[in-house]
Amino acid sequence: MEGVFTQTLVSGILIGFIYALIAVGLTMIFGMMDIVNFAHGEYLMVAMYFAYWFFVLFGMDPLFSLPLVTVLLFLLGVITYYIFIRPIISAPMLSQIFVTFGILILLRGVAQYLWNADYRMIPQTLTSGNVSIFGVYTGVSQLIAAAGAVICNGLIFWFLKSTKLGMALEAVSEDKEAARLMGINSDRMFALAWGIGIATVGVAGGLLSSFYYVFPEVGSNFCLMAFVVVALGGFGSVPGAFIAGIIVGLVEVLSGYLIAPSLKFMFVLFLYLGVVFIRPQGFMGRK
Amino acid sequence: MWKFLRVFFAAVMVLSFTSLACAQNEIRIGVIFPLTGPLATTGQGLLKGAELAADIINNKYNLNMPLAKTAGLPNLKGAKIKIIPGDHQGKPEVGMAEAERLITQEKVVAIIGCYNSAVTATAAQAAERYGIPFLNDSSSSPSLTEKGFKWFFRTTPHDDMFSENFFIFLNDLKKKKKITVGPIALLYENTLFGADSRKYQEMYAKKYGYQISGAVPYPAKSTQLTSEIQKLRSYNPSIIMQTSYTADAILSMKTYKDLNFAPTALIANDAGFNDPDLIKSLGKDADYILSREVWAKDLSAKKPMIKTVADMFEKIAGKPMSGDYARSFTGMIVLADAINRAKSTEPAKIQKALSETNIKADQLIMPWDGVKFDPKTHQNVLGKGIIVQVQKGERYTVWPFNLATKDVIWPFPKWETRK
Amino acid sequence: MKKGLFVFILFMCILAAVPLFLGDPFVCHILIMTMMYATMSIGWNVIGGYAGQVSFGNAAFFGVGAYTTAILLVNFSVNPWLGMLAGCVLSVGLAVVVGYPCFRLRGHYFAIATIAVGEIMVVIFTNWDYVGAAVGIYMPILEESFTNFEFHSSKIPYYYIILCMLVFAIAVSYIVEESRLGYYLRAIKDDPDGARSLGIDIQKYKMIAFSISAVLTSICGTFYGQYVLYIHPSSTMDLMMSIHLCIIALIGGIGKLFGPVIGAFVFIPLMELTRVYLGSEGQGIDMIIYSLLVIMIAIWRPQGLWALFSRGDK
Repeated sequence: MEGVFTQTLVSGILIGFIYALIAVGLTMIFGMMDIVNFAHGEYLMVAMYFAYWFFVLFGMDPLFSLPLVTVLLFLLGVITYYIFIRPIISAPMLSQIFVTFGILILLRGVAQYLWNADYRMIPQTLTSGNVSIFGVYTGVSQLIAAAGAVICNGLIFWFLKSTKLGMALEAVSEDKEAARLMGINSDRMFALAWGIGIATVGVAGGLLSSFYYVFPEVGSNFCLMAFVVVALGGFGSVPGAFIAGIIVGLVEVLSGYLIAPSLKFMFVLFLYLGVVFIRPQGFMGRK
Repeated sequence: MWKFLRVFFAAVMVLSFTSLACAQNEIRIGVIFPLTGPLATTGQGLLKGAELAADIINNKYNLNMPLAKTAGLPNLKGAKIKIIPGDHQGKPEVGMAEAERLITQEKVVAIIGCYNSAVTATAAQAAERYGIPFLNDSSSSPSLTEKGFKWFFRTTPHDDMFSENFFIFLNDLKKKKKITVGPIALLYENTLFGADSRKYQEMYAKKYGYQISGAVPYPAKSTQLTSEIQKLRSYNPSIIMQTSYTADAILSMKTYKDLNFAPTALIANDAGFNDPDLIKSLGKDADYILSREVWAKDLSAKKPMIKTVADMFEKIAGKPMSGDYARSFTGMIVLADAINRAKSTEPAKIQKALSETNIKADQLIMPWDGVKFDPKTHQNVLGKGIIVQVQKGERYTVWPFNLATKDVIWPFPKWETRK
Repeated sequence: MKKGLFVFILFMCILAAVPLFLGDPFVCHILIMTMMYATMSIGWNVIGGYAGQVSFGNAAFFGVGAYTTAILLVNFSVNPWLGMLAGCVLSVGLAVVVGYPCFRLRGHYFAIATIAVGEIMVVIFTNWDYVGAAVGIYMPILEESFTNFEFHSSKIPYYYIILCMLVFAIAVSYIVEESRLGYYLRAIKDDPDGARSLGIDIQKYKMIAFSISAVLTSICGTFYGQYVLYIHPSSTMDLMMSIHLCIIALIGGIGKLFGPVIGAFVFIPLMELTRVYLGSEGQGIDMIIYSLLVIMIAIWRPQGLWALFSRGDK
């Protein structure tokens, strides 16, 4: 029995890392420019399709196509910024919400048009199979994905705190005017933030594609979780998202195992509501 | 404002006058499936199945099934079937509206549909109101034929019958292979289909003397099923009976493997486990899954006609025939047969002819004993399920034993012993 | 405003006269759905438009309305009209329970909290056996009459009932807009801190607006249940429905009295027509068209289509 419990715990932490990785781009974009990207999950879907097609057309394992997918998603993020986001950067919140919602529906529509509603999955990858560590079983792909998530989150954190470019990004998000006076082009910084934010979902999508199926609405499976993670960790906080991701993963798995699987989402959402009511800015959010 | 109103009402007017005058020698049949939305792939295939049946009816083919050898319906001067498709997107109110649109605008004489049980419920109510025969080919919720509808007929067996099949299969297997069956645990998606399946599985387990050690419902669209499968494991089952749609079927199989959990057998209740995408996605990890089916290509070993039809389907649809598509095909044949016997397109006569339907087993591409509707519920009483097993990436019929082309592999091998 | 009133009355007269010329049930169905969504979207507009609190959880009130009526009818044989009132009471109760904590949250936090509430409702209803869980509830088929709120031979009675609900919703919205409440709500939307410093009890007025929104959505839930005669969680509480309400208001004009009405009369027929005429051929095309419409409106015409018509009067 104890073994089963440890096993559940490990699974929760592993999926939590993935949530954190998906959430980190969302939280970064929000922190920079106060826009919630409701289409975030759809970019994940696009990344998963890219990984899938790289495999089908060129036989590339998702692990190898990962850098390509990341670069493509980075470009997609930058393009999205210039076409859709720049015009509404200082528009009221409602317009911003609807533009990102529009992107959500647009990407789903395009995916359905191009690739129809079939469920697709890469059958065998280099990382297929499972391993047992101290009696705890886990899929190799999940392990690699979790490791990738930790590395990627660490890199983003390091980038924002310790590189010149990252600090410029932070400066813009703190105070646009002051940054401008310091000679930082905020427009370009925003584009960069979108690029990086979407590129991180690209990493997540590439990693997920080796053990999760893809179809046009796959984004919605993860998106709600990502929102909860972001809000819980505090909009704009990278370490907050990391911790919140693990907490959400654990709550989901443990409530599912100990109480009732069909109610597991409810517990996650209640956790979210509970936390935001007591501390509206989340664990580590700035006010 | 005025301009807008004018334009808008012009549009509405155009819409309302689009109803075409029916050509004389044409029998218009409405076919409502989820042609767009999440179930679009299945819906399109279902439509293709019905279209293939219409083609066989409308032209001469040398097949042993009703109306194949003649062109059109002989009793109606060779009138041809024309399919009018409708799309319900999986939404009950849309299904209802489509049924009404097809009846009132397109003047269809009968309707086939709708796959999703919840949508069939509302669309059948609409048909009931207008007094138009409604033939349900592929919805398996038992409640549909319990409402005493007059115009509603169902050709496919429902979950009640299918669930009983599981236990008859286990009994047969016990006799044949001298196996013992331990406790059974259920895993199902918490929707109409899953909840119904659980109800009947529990009922028949009791009746046939099997022990159910636990039931685990899970929400659709899960990002992971670890906790569900851990819970399932804690019930210590020797057999898992699972009801899932494609996405969760794929995910659960991955999770079984990742957690190294292999029960003696996994018996799935159709749906996702019979989707061709499942084997494509899982590769050899899909092997040894047992699944309740309504149809399998290898049934052609006993009925060669099945292969002919399946090949024709693959040619027009670009994908292999499946149980769902075979059912929409059969639905159309049954309906056309009734219209032919009614010698009329009057709804009441079609309704009467449908209730007198008696098609023999050898004229069907299904493993059924025939088609004959219960006089009260209008459920086909001769329907029957089969059980297939995935072996080396292909599905083979393994039960009933007289239709089987392969022997059951039992138990489900442990993951580490598989290559 | 006189001209506006004239246009309104004219429009309603046309709508009231449509069934005299159009016997076609499918067109009738589209108009019924359009008016139902218009009514709900007006409800959304009260909280989302006037008060600026974007709610993505309004479908929960729709569900509460539909389920309350259905359960009272099926289990206790309570007349659906009374069920509708009970649904309104419960919806207001839910609005208060949800609103009390949620209104302390601002902007995006509020929006996401309402998504969470809506999703929690779906989970609860999907697992609650008493309300039919995932299977849902079939309404009993009763003799058709106005008292029974069921009509089988024709849709026209439903048409007039939903038309009356729409007029009711417009009237409520008009009263809100013209009253002190509307003034306060706009103040809360434009400058919450300023409103607070003027001594406006923000929490209270948001709550009132949310309750009005809940009532207008809840009556549509009852209507839907009686119209379709079958309800289950995913057809009555779907997140997508909440989103459609916002999108309809956006297309027509957020915070404008007739915005949601115009939005619904453009959006719903457009969706139906693309489904019927494009649906089976070009999968996803309908979604692409309407997402581009939404994006373009949000970027270039945040005032919505209403702005096209109202240049003169306002």
